[in-house]
Amino acid sequence: MNNLTDRVGLGWRPDLAAGILEHLDGIDLLEVIADDFFSAPRRQVRALKTLAAQIPVVLHGVSLGLASSSSVETKRLDQMARLMEEVSPEFWSEHLAFVRAGGIEIGHLAAPPRCSATVDAAAANLHRAQAAVGAKPLVENIATLIDPPASTLSESDWIAGILSSSNCGLLLDLHNVLANGLNHGYDPFEFVRQIPPERIAAIHIAGGKFISAPDGTQRLLDDHFHDVPDPVFDLLEETAARASGPLTVILERDGDYPSMDSLLAQIAQARRALAKGRQRRMQPVEAVA
Amino acid sequence: MSSIQLEAFLARLYVDSDARANFKANPRAEAKKAGLSEDQCTALEKLDWIGLEMAARSFAKKRQLKRRPSWFAAFQLRLSRLRFLRFLQ
Repeated sequence: MNNLTDRVGLGWRPDLAAGILEHLDGIDLLEVIADDFFSAPRRQVRALKTLAAQIPVVLHGVSLGLASSSSVETKRLDQMARLMEEVSPEFWSEHLAFVRAGGIEIGHLAAPPRCSATVDAAAANLHRAQAAVGAKPLVENIATLIDPPASTLSESDWIAGILSSSNCGLLLDLHNVLANGLNHGYDPFEFVRQIPPERIAAIHIAGGKFISAPDGTQRLLDDHFHDVPDPVFDLLEETAARASGPLTVILERDGDYPSMDSLLAQIAQARRALAKGRQRRMQPVEAVA
Repeated sequence: MSSIQLEAFLARLYVDSDARANFKANPRAEAKKAGLSEDQCTALEKLDWIGLEMAARSFAKKRQLKRRPSWFAAFQLRLSRLRFLRFLQ
């Protein structure tokens, strides 16, 4: 145990509902996909409120496109604001991505060019989001199979720039860091060291799989269909050794669901990694470096 | 030239295989036709082509999953939602 009250929870998925509700004592909190409830019937939103009364809940958005160069749509911000008001989660989060442009829905999270223009655009969207929703979101780094063209900033500098301009906290997705590091040739541990540690408030852990590229090389796809690999737990320990505030860790799983025992074992492993990192943090600086 | 136009150009490449083929055949001309700046055209000529194809494939899969959940997946989802609602009553 550490004295920073770190917590480890699980992403709420309908397929996991029964297992989660049977094991609430082993899960510190739940992360709910907000977009699933934007057009949901009233009774489902009531059920979510009942759930939030039993266990801490946080909301996670997937379609706002906060790092888009275009202004985030008011209608979508209003939907998030309404849900926030009804559920009263501990916090909400969204991705640093664009998901639509020029009238085209991409269908998933895409990385914008990393440059000063998109730092400014993301900061403007985050200020609008705060004004509409009433609270700043934590912002999450995304995985990308393509290195975004016309980028003039490194990923860590780009994220740090947005955090600084918007004064938001970071939801650091460690599998995304691992995937981008492997796919685009940088050291994931060095990346974690470049992120301002005081900004890291929450963490995602997940698994993915290697897919073959047409040239025979392989890239890591962040599909959330696999168990959390060891390097992600190592990155979690490294993050815990550096972060100055309490951390909220969420295990994400979106398919090929394993048994609850397996998910609880991964939660337990995350707690061990956090504890090891925090222990390192207590040691003198020379020993940590 | 703005990042808005560049993002719109990228979005088109991600979802439209014909646009990708045209772009691959003549990157600079296609980027110029979209009104992108000289710097952006130059950057797009050095595009991560393999990453573009892989990303486009991954996005297409995501769109397909959102559009057409199989009847079994939809049934499972309803069933687990029902269980959840009953549990809370």
